[in-house]
Formats: sequence, structure tokens, C-alpha cells
Amino acid sequence: MTPRTYLLALISLSILCGCGVTSRLEPYKQTNAVLDEDDRIVILPRRHHASHETEVGFVDCVSNGLAQGSEGLGVYISTAFEDRLYPWFEPSTAPLSIDDFSELMENPDIHEQVRLSKVRFIIWLDGSTDRVAAGGGISCAAGVAGAGCMGLAWWEDDARYDATIWDVRDLSSAGTIYADYNGRSVMPALIVPIPLIARPQAQACRGLTDQLKQFLTTPEGYEPGPELSAN
Amino acid sequence: MQIRAYSRQVRLLLGILGSYLLSGCAPVILVSTDFPQPLVEPLPVRMGLLLGEELLAYEYREQIPQQATYTIQIGNANASMMNRLFQPMFASVEPVDDLPLAQVDSSRIDGVLSPELDRYEFDVPIGQNDEFVEVWMQYLLRLYEPNGELITEWPISGYGKAELRNTGNRISAISRATVLAMREVGAVIATGFAEQPEVEYWLQER
Repeated sequence: MTPRTYLLALISLSILCGCGVTSRLEPYKQTNAVLDEDDRIVILPRRHHASHETEVGFVDCVSNGLAQGSEGLGVYISTAFEDRLYPWFEPSTAPLSIDDFSELMENPDIHEQVRLSKVRFIIWLDGSTDRVAAGGGISCAAGVAGAGCMGLAWWEDDARYDATIWDVRDLSSAGTIYADYNGRSVMPALIVPIPLIARPQAQACRGLTDQLKQFLTTPEGYEPGPELSAN
Repeated sequence: MQIRAYSRQVRLLLGILGSYLLSGCAPVILVSTDFPQPLVEPLPVRMGLLLGEELLAYEYREQIPQQATYTIQIGNANASMMNRLFQPMFASVEPVDDLPLAQVDSSRIDGVLSPELDRYEFDVPIGQNDEFVEVWMQYLLRLYEPNGELITEWPISGYGKAELRNTGNRISAISRATVLAMREVGAVIATGFAEQPEVEYWLQER
């Protein structure tokens, strides 16, 4: 086989296996509330589940994505917010519903600290990226004449996240955004393994960040509804 | 002559490599962080705080099969947490060295708190698919009368979990999970101390 044949084989293989990411975003906004100039937001991970926990890296990715850029939003650092309101936002004490939060805000000290933080919206991130399937295999061997690998391995990761937005000023739920990004990675090996990796978590971060920016800054014309795409 | 010099250099290199490998196999983890003060209404009692030597020098050691012997030093973190946790919880808090209190101290202290770290457990992933380090801790919080009489002993558990892939290595993940477990313990104490039946009764009598 010539190098050209190898290349063609690889390209056709990657096309055949359909490596890539499919996405689904479902935003739902209940109010017309938007961020004012001095308002801030805070992104907090839900950590009360025993089975899964939103990754620190994902929270940082969304927080940085919202804060950066020419139209970056004021983002309060989540750990600083948890410290400021300790012990009321720890896994065992954090409010699970807007009613719990309203009750918490009846405490004048907590109310004052939240007011001083200038946080207008609390965004709860729930979900995780999990490997949902994997298969195939690669065999490698080495001899006097040289070494090489042969085979095909693949795996599928599902990044599924919910963002629940609470309006701190109105003590109401402002809406939710559901994001589901499914990515299939393949690694064909023809002498050398070539990883063709899909990154659903990174794409979920970008997708969710864009939706959140729109959600928090657009009072009208924000059209909730499912969005389905493949890339 | 040259061979002897090379041999000395090789021995030195092997020695350095050996000690590096040995230290790598027996990680020592010093848990240290700035704990936040709890945002709670202070209870109208003057409390003494007795931090025992065992708590302040607490060190946990465990050998994990196929890995290493971990030594986790929690004494400094205990001191930091307890001092910051109790200050805002009561009208006043002052350190005490022993029980029962001397007559002069008894007149200005209503009760004495003595925390103890009773149990520490941790789980480090062995397989590559495991993503989290988990830590479970149990403290015993004892409340005494100034004369040394035990009012109540309250066991408080805390659980912490830290991602291995984001924290980078096992040592920082164990440290982070320990801090999270300690924060959890602090949260339970700060929000639930006054609701313990014996404490509630004791507070009513003040």
C-alpha cells in the first residue's frame, strides 16, 4: 500500500464511521428579566448527587466564556460566592428550589451579603459528561523489521447539562436551558494509531455559554424552543 | 582512576534516583486552606474552646495496595477550621487548656467545646476509569460544663469528592476532597448545633 492509499483509506474510514458531535439545546425563559449594567451572575455546580457531579472544569469553562469577550458579563467567582455565604451553599445546605432560596433570603444577614455581591442571577449547573459506549480494538506488535498497530477503536461520550437560572431580585425562576451533546470518537490504526477525537463537553460549554449570554441579555425576541443540529 | 570516579557518580545518581522514587511512593499531604467564617446568628453564650493536641497534630497514614503509603496531615487545617468556625457562632469564644476550668475562668465561660477527629477514610482510584477521590470524616463534638461535666457528644460526618482529571494529581485531589469534607462538617455544626436536643435544653437553662 502506498502512502496515498493509506490516506484515502483513513479519510473514507472516518467518513464511514460518522465521527462527530450531535447537539440538542432546549432553552426556556419564563420572564423578560435581563442583566443591568452593574449586575453580576454566579455559576454554581449542583453537588448533592451521589452518582454524578458537574465537573469543575465545565463550570470554569462556562464562567470564563460568559466573562470573556467584548460583551462579557460580570461573573462572580463561584468559590468566592460560596465562601461569602458559607455555610448556606454547601452540598448539604444549598437551596434546591426557588422556595428554599426565598426562605434563605428572609435571613437579613444572608440577604445583605447577596445584595453586596451584586449577583442578580444564580445559574445552577447540573449534569456531567459520561462515556456511554465504547468498542473495537487495536492490536500492536513489534518485531525485528519494525513495529505497527492495526485495528479500529471507537467510543461515545454524552455531555448532558441543565442550567437553571434563578432571579435573585425577584426571587423567581427565570428559566432553564437543557444541553445534550453526543460525540463519537474513532481511532483507526494502520501502522500508526490516528485519534479522531470528538469533544462534546467543550462543544456543550460553547453552546450553553452562547445560549446563556442570549438568555441574560435579551428581554424580548428570545425564542425558546428545541434546537437540533449535527456537526 | 577514571573508572572509580565514574562509579562514584553512578552511585550518587542511583542514590538520588532511589530517594526520589521512595519519596514518590510515600506522598505526604499537608491539608491547608483558609476556611470561611460561617454567616450565622451568634448564640448568647460565652464558650471556651479546647483543642486537644491529638486534633492539632492529626496525621492519618494508610497504605493503598498497588499504589503507595499516604500520609495526610490534617492538624493545621483542624486548627484553622475550628478557630474560624466557632468565633461567629457564639457571643464570645476563648481558648482553654484544660478541664475543669479554674474558678476565675468559670465565672466568664458558660460551656466548653472540645472537637475530636474520630475517623478519617479516603478512597483513591486504582483504575484509569475512576475519576474521583473521595474522603469521609467523622468528628465528635463534645460540650462540657465549666466543671468538666459532659453535656453532650455529637458525631458529625462530612463527605468530600474531588475530580482526579482536573486537579491533576492524587495528592491535590486528596487535599481538596478533605477540605470539602471539612467544610461539610463545619456547615453541619454551624447550622445544626443549636438544634441538638441536649444543646437546646442547655441553652434554655442559660
